[in-house]
Amino acid sequence: MAPCVSCFLLVVLISAGCKAIPSSDPTCTEKEDNRTYNCENLGLREIPDTLPNTTEVLEFSFNFLPTIQNTTFSRLIHLIFLDLTRSKVKISIYPQSLRRCQINWVHEDTFQSHHQLNTIVLTGNPLIFMAETSLTGPKLLKHLFLTQTGISNLEFIPVHNLENLESLHLGSNHISSINLPENFPTQNLKVLDFQNNAIHYISRKDTNALEQATNLNLNFNGNDIKGIEPGAFNSKIFQSLKFGGSLNLSIVFKGLQNCTIQSLWLGTFEDTDDQDLTSATFEGLCDMSVESINLQKHRFNDLSSSTFQCFTRLQELDLTAAHLKGLPSGIEGMNSLKKLVLNANNFDQLCQINAASFPSLRELYIKGNMRKLDLGTRCLEKLETLQKLDLSHSDIEASDCCNLQLQNLRHLQYLNLSYNEPLGLEDQAFKECPQLELLDLAFTHLRVKAPHSPFQSLQLLQVLNLSHCLLDTSNQHLLAGLWGLRHLNLQGNSFQDGSISKTNLLQTVGSLEILILSSCNLLSIDQQAFQGLGNVNHLDLSYNSLTGDSMDALNHLKGIYLNLASNNIRIIPPHLLPALSQQSTINLSHNPLDCTCSNIHFITWCKENLHKLEDLEETTCANPPSLRGMKLSNVKLHCGITGMGIFFIVVFVFSLILLLIFSVKFILRWKYQHI
Amino acid sequence: MKGFAAALLIWTLLSPRRAGGEAWPMHTACRNGNLQVLYQSCDPLQDFGFSVDQCSRQLKPNINVRFGMVLREDIEQLFLDVALFSKGLSILNFSYPICEVDLPKFSFCGRRKGEQIYYAGPLNNPGFEIPEGDYQVLLELYNQDHATVACANATVLYS
Repeated sequence: MAPCVSCFLLVVLISAGCKAIPSSDPTCTEKEDNRTYNCENLGLREIPDTLPNTTEVLEFSFNFLPTIQNTTFSRLIHLIFLDLTRSKVKISIYPQSLRRCQINWVHEDTFQSHHQLNTIVLTGNPLIFMAETSLTGPKLLKHLFLTQTGISNLEFIPVHNLENLESLHLGSNHISSINLPENFPTQNLKVLDFQNNAIHYISRKDTNALEQATNLNLNFNGNDIKGIEPGAFNSKIFQSLKFGGSLNLSIVFKGLQNCTIQSLWLGTFEDTDDQDLTSATFEGLCDMSVESINLQKHRFNDLSSSTFQCFTRLQELDLTAAHLKGLPSGIEGMNSLKKLVLNANNFDQLCQINAASFPSLRELYIKGNMRKLDLGTRCLEKLETLQKLDLSHSDIEASDCCNLQLQNLRHLQYLNLSYNEPLGLEDQAFKECPQLELLDLAFTHLRVKAPHSPFQSLQLLQVLNLSHCLLDTSNQHLLAGLWGLRHLNLQGNSFQDGSISKTNLLQTVGSLEILILSSCNLLSIDQQAFQGLGNVNHLDLSYNSLTGDSMDALNHLKGIYLNLASNNIRIIPPHLLPALSQQSTINLSHNPLDCTCSNIHFITWCKENLHKLEDLEETTCANPPSLRGMKLSNVKLHCGITGMGIFFIVVFVFSLILLLIFSVKFILRWKYQHI
Repeated sequence: MKGFAAALLIWTLLSPRRAGGEAWPMHTACRNGNLQVLYQSCDPLQDFGFSVDQCSRQLKPNINVRFGMVLREDIEQLFLDVALFSKGLSILNFSYPICEVDLPKFSFCGRRKGEQIYYAGPLNNPGFEIPEGDYQVLLELYNQDHATVACANATVLYS
């Protein structure tokens, strides 16, 4: 009897909770009008009545839905995306257990009326049972997330209505075999994710079930593969295969015999114990066709040119953080390699990569080198076809850059030298790379002697990032020769006296479309400072100390995006308003705007042009104190003479006239009395 | 009466908590003689578990830690911000990438919102000696959208 009493009490309490919680009114956030709603972390026990029937995207993670049934979402028949992550969902046709007072009672056909449903996320829910028809209804169910739902057997997944499935996520479960049930539809499957399960062996029978899938991406990261049946991957074609964290790579290479794979990920992790790689490890690679391999964080034992003898057909090789101090010289046959990633290694000198082994290389990444990297001279001169070079975050320091260092890189289009130590740039510093289109030098201190023009000869350069380069902006010739430059970032550099004068370094870059001058400590801009910049359509002047008077410089610009956020703008005089009126979008947020009658013209203008103003929430008044913090769009000002004032003036004038008449009358009477 | 107590217990367990901004309890990450490390979750949504295997003033490189929590965000990209204070003065600030798209350093990188993770393994830290004194450390883990994954207010007491 006692258990039943407590049970009854529990039901009463929980049902009370069910009613109490929605009424405590935690509201969902509307992300997109009538379509997208976020109801995460609200402790909800049902779909709130406030959600409109038109809802298409519903994020309902971290709530409390112990059961879902055909009435749960029945009102929201237009759902396309439904995220039920960790909502303690149970899908079942049976009452879970009467001893639990029927809390877990669930029905089949939950999504029967949701024809448009495309994605269902059930991550982190302890699923006990899914009914045969629990996923039927949607006409094009494409993505199903069953990550960490406690699945140990793939038969658990109801196969009805999975014909259109493109991705199936089964990570972090207790799966030990990838053998899909016989009638499991795989013809449209593109992504099959088995991360962090207990798969140790892959048999031919397992992979045969995937026969119908084409261009499949298969993920076995975090499964310790101990064996693959010979021939299991014979003549199979995959878009990508991931065996990250596998302890023995030679098993994987041998098992993938005669397989064709676009991208093979075999990296390891900080927390995974693995064996050192030797030449023998890669023997199996000779018998398969792979375009791209990732071997991040591995250690190579006796690295020599023979280590790479089976890499000859490879197009992309990623050796990120592979504890490399150099690459062996004389690697033969790697003529087809197009992309080489050597990020986060331990090179002392750029020549240690022995670049001559990769004559067809198009892209080279040496980002985040763990030691100070010396660029040396002519280290990359054999890479005549190189188009992309990333040397960022590598502690590079050079006093005379960069013609000797980048010699013969005639086809280079992209160069990233950002986040390095100080670089001394010579006149025409990039003469060796005349094809450059994008040059990123952000956060690298540049030393340029005036009046040198380091970027002269870069006629094809379109994007130049010089943010936080501590530039000498008084050098008028700094940007000379950049005829085609469209995007210039000068963020975080300072100008003499905090002012951009009439003659300045921008006059040589007349083709600019995007100009960023934020955080430059600017106090003023000369009226004619931007005179030569007729093509600008995006001007960022945020985080300076500019006042309203600087608007004068924008007179000749039309239809641009103008960012004036976080400046010192208080009052904008009426004669400068046309300069604002002709722009398409303006951000005036975080300025100490004046909301008194002395700024009435600007405030009236703002109210008429609300559609042009960006970030209105943060566009607030600073003065007078009574209106501080109030949104500009809500301000109502009454300036000039009011009706009451006019009445008083009329009364005053009228009484004055009366007084005058009476006094004239009195004077005349007094004067003529004596005649 | 027993039933009522049980029901009340379950009720308190099931009710959504921390709505009123009540702080999470202070936990001990490690304690050894006169050195102890305490921490408290500053994520209003949840607590997490953390412990350090060895607690010595001469911190060894690559110390082993244990960590357990529920992810409220995807962590394909994960960054750590550390701010160290002593006597209210800021001593050190740094930011460190843990998971990046082109370099997932740890095996848990890429796991999804809603997953429960347990990590027991090395931290990849440099070794250093802790000077005498009391320290406050603010640790923040966040993802590519700057959404909080975990937040800890830690205190290192060494006398």
